[in-house]
Amino acid sequence: MIVLRILLYFVISLVTLFLVILLGQRGAWYFAWVLGTVMIVLIAAAGGALLDAQEEAKHNGR
Amino acid sequence: MHDLQTVLVLSRWQFAATALYHFLFVPLTLGMTFLLAAMETVYVTTGRQIYKDMVRFWGKLFAINFALGVATGLTMEFQFGTNWSQYSRFVGDVFGAPLAIEGLMAFFLESTFVGLMFFGWDRMSRGKHLLITYMVALGSNLSALWILIANSFMQSPHGAKFDPATMRLELTSFTDLIFSHDAQAKFVHTSIAGYVTAAMFVAGISGWYMLRNRHMELAKRSFRMAVLFGVFASIGVISLGDALGFIDGNAQPAKLAAMEAMWKTKPPPVGFNVIAFPSQKQQRNLFDIQIPRLLTPLVTRTMDTVIPGADQVEKQAVVRMKDGIPAVLALKTLSADPTNPAALAQFRAHEQDMGYALLLERYAPDLTAVTPADYQRAARAVIPDVPVIFWSFRVMVLAGFVMLLYLGIATFCSMNNKVQERRWLLKIAPWLIPLPYIACEAGWLVAEMGRQPWTVYGVLPTWMSVSTQSVGYMVFSLAGFVLIYTAFIAVEAYLMLKFIRKGPDEGAAPAH
Amino acid sequence: MELYAILKITWWLLLGVLLIGLAVMVGMDMGIGAALRYFGRTDGERRAVLNMIGPHWDGNQVWFILGGGAVFAAWPTIYATAFSGLYVVMLLLLWSMIIRPLGFEYRSKLPSPSWRNVWDWGLFVSGLLPMVIFGAAMGNMLQGVPFHFDWKLNSWYTGSFISLFNPFAILCGLMSLSLALYQGSAMVMNRGEGAVRERARRLGVWGGLVALVLFTIGGFWVARLSGYVVTAGDDPAGPAMPLHKTVEVAQGAWLHNFGAHPVLWLVPVLTYVSILLGAWALRRGWSHFAWWLGALGWVGTIGTVGAAMFPFMMPSSSDPSQSLTVWDASSSQMTLLWMLGWTVVFVPIVLVYTSWAFWVMRGKVTAAHVEGDDHAY
Repeated sequence: MIVLRILLYFVISLVTLFLVILLGQRGAWYFAWVLGTVMIVLIAAAGGALLDAQEEAKHNGR
Repeated sequence: MHDLQTVLVLSRWQFAATALYHFLFVPLTLGMTFLLAAMETVYVTTGRQIYKDMVRFWGKLFAINFALGVATGLTMEFQFGTNWSQYSRFVGDVFGAPLAIEGLMAFFLESTFVGLMFFGWDRMSRGKHLLITYMVALGSNLSALWILIANSFMQSPHGAKFDPATMRLELTSFTDLIFSHDAQAKFVHTSIAGYVTAAMFVAGISGWYMLRNRHMELAKRSFRMAVLFGVFASIGVISLGDALGFIDGNAQPAKLAAMEAMWKTKPPPVGFNVIAFPSQKQQRNLFDIQIPRLLTPLVTRTMDTVIPGADQVEKQAVVRMKDGIPAVLALKTLSADPTNPAALAQFRAHEQDMGYALLLERYAPDLTAVTPADYQRAARAVIPDVPVIFWSFRVMVLAGFVMLLYLGIATFCSMNNKVQERRWLLKIAPWLIPLPYIACEAGWLVAEMGRQPWTVYGVLPTWMSVSTQSVGYMVFSLAGFVLIYTAFIAVEAYLMLKFIRKGPDEGAAPAH
Repeated sequence: MELYAILKITWWLLLGVLLIGLAVMVGMDMGIGAALRYFGRTDGERRAVLNMIGPHWDGNQVWFILGGGAVFAAWPTIYATAFSGLYVVMLLLLWSMIIRPLGFEYRSKLPSPSWRNVWDWGLFVSGLLPMVIFGAAMGNMLQGVPFHFDWKLNSWYTGSFISLFNPFAILCGLMSLSLALYQGSAMVMNRGEGAVRERARRLGVWGGLVALVLFTIGGFWVARLSGYVVTAGDDPAGPAMPLHKTVEVAQGAWLHNFGAHPVLWLVPVLTYVSILLGAWALRRGWSHFAWWLGALGWVGTIGTVGAAMFPFMMPSSSDPSQSLTVWDASSSQMTLLWMLGWTVVFVPIVLVYTSWAFWVMRGKVTAAHVEGDDHAY
């Protein structure tokens, strides 16, 4: 079972790698969109989580 | 009654109006889905209920908007066939493919999972639900990808060739079609413009709540996430907009001349018109304020490349019209006798300029007897509506920079938890919500009106693309659209405002 | 056979698959919309019925969108000619269809009964009218439509809008509506309880039986209709150019294919068997089984039309030689090939996640259920 799962992940990463190379070569902007979107979403999420941390720090400080 | 000119004008109005209307709802969908996904990501990773409340509240507003986006999108798919049938037949081999793939790859994903996103909260694990939200976001943006690939083909046709045996454009390279630079830049520009729209929408409403001390916990977090999301997105929109301008300017000199109100070709480096009052009739600017030497490096990335003005674009168009006439004449022979070798040879020798002769045909129906006056009228038509494009472009850019400025300041203040002290920041937030919409619509106007008089730039003129409808049918359909769409927007706006005023359900969220 | 010809036939079959998908999935939702006020007598019941397809109607509608997109991509000449020729009908179809998303999403957002009534009637129109128009469009294709091309292949429609609503077309429209009511009823039985389920059972059985009667009448009618026969010049592997063939019109020609290949009679038989069996299953309360039989009924119905008309897709009654056929209305070989690739990859994926979505949302939906859900329609 575990072997199958590892194999599956392996195949997925290979396909991803292939697509990335293909995209990087001919579709640089598409690739930039993928990276940019992931980045923007993660930054926004981190900003939200940071607010919670800031609030907690304020509470603890008092 | 088949009055071609009237039908053409009415069809263009109908398409423009319904497309602009549709595009009121699309950008928010593109951005809001990813913003919802970001909020839900925080919910799943931290387990704090407030983030789930955020997803549900903004999700409700999203749904009201989404329904109208779906409804008005149907119109677009119909209209290519109903009103632009010659266009559809002429380019369907190339243009239809991305549209079909859009349905297959994007709409199914988005629409199947949007149902689960709203109805499936209690039926699956948090992780699975998060995955579904991401799928909705991906699906909606993929649909933008495919439709913009199709649109880019109209802007700068790549990967297709006209086949006289079938009298239409046929696909020669699918990868050229989807990887055309225009398609890439346009997709990223449009998609991220949607992110900015969502950011301004959420920030505006959150600011309104914070100003009134309502739903503080939810509003504070939403505001922070929205402005962060938006500030990076608006940097992206502006840089991609610049890239798109560069690509489009190279592919479509007429559009560039119109965007910059450049009537005469001048030696480089030429100045940039900050403000101008262009007169289409007199082919000059009645008044302008210029920054010297700026335009050439801006659009060519060099100091010494000549940017063709309207006069040169017209001159070149006449040359191409003359060269294209034999191709169209040969085509008529080939339509009846597809293997005629002489006609085929004649067509091949002149095919690259066929589109220009087709454009000329509107002004000179008999291509064997074209007068100089016909040429001049046709050449004038090659330049799109300069005042509209010049100003739409400036409105878009200005709106973009204002949003960047606001989002930058708001991000700075929000990160330092100073937003509540800067009341003015919250006060103007709701008033800035129209900005992204204005920018999106203006951008659409630049792209589409700037492409005129072509539906496929340089290949198929707009006048030839239209269906052979009667004026009566057109009046009927236009009246119907005005009636239905007015009712729709009234209902949507009413519901939207009602639910914004009502705010998220309090009490549903136990304090964390 | 040459690759191009094989691709054309493949896309003709795929178009059939898409039309069947559309008829089954969208038809089900539209049947429910059209009979909403019958299924549910109280607001609670109506909300329950709406929420049975609430999570799915949008995904189902993509069958329609994809159908349009696939016709555009694989059969551009037909897309252009049919949509522009049937202008007013297409707009009526569109306008009734665009009420639907709003009907679902906005109806239960406000508590006012008159608000909800308006949307109920909106859903009624946007369920009934499109199904009638789908069927009527099929009926008109069988009879031929008056259009011709000029030398640039620009199409000219020369009929009137009223003539599209001729008796035969209306018969086809009513049949498609009956099948939609059947399919919708089966779904409501799947996910409903009590009185709602009882009403759905009654309507479903009637829908199936009426559809069969109309199908029978339509069959005899088609035998007397003028059919079309290609007599020369339509090369299966040739370029997609509809101007260089000759076509003759002959009474009863739509039965020629059945005469030449008697095995085709199994297709209409499939409609009879599955709908009869389905109506019986509905009576017995085996609605899941009946739902699938209804889908088979659609396969038989649309298959029958296809079998009768092949290779014609859109015959021209005013200039038969310019009719559009499988051989001369398709896209280029390269487009068909690329589109086939996308289809082969994505249709299975779509089927998997669609089935998963139905599975996740399985189970009964009741009025009490709906009250508790904050996003429910």
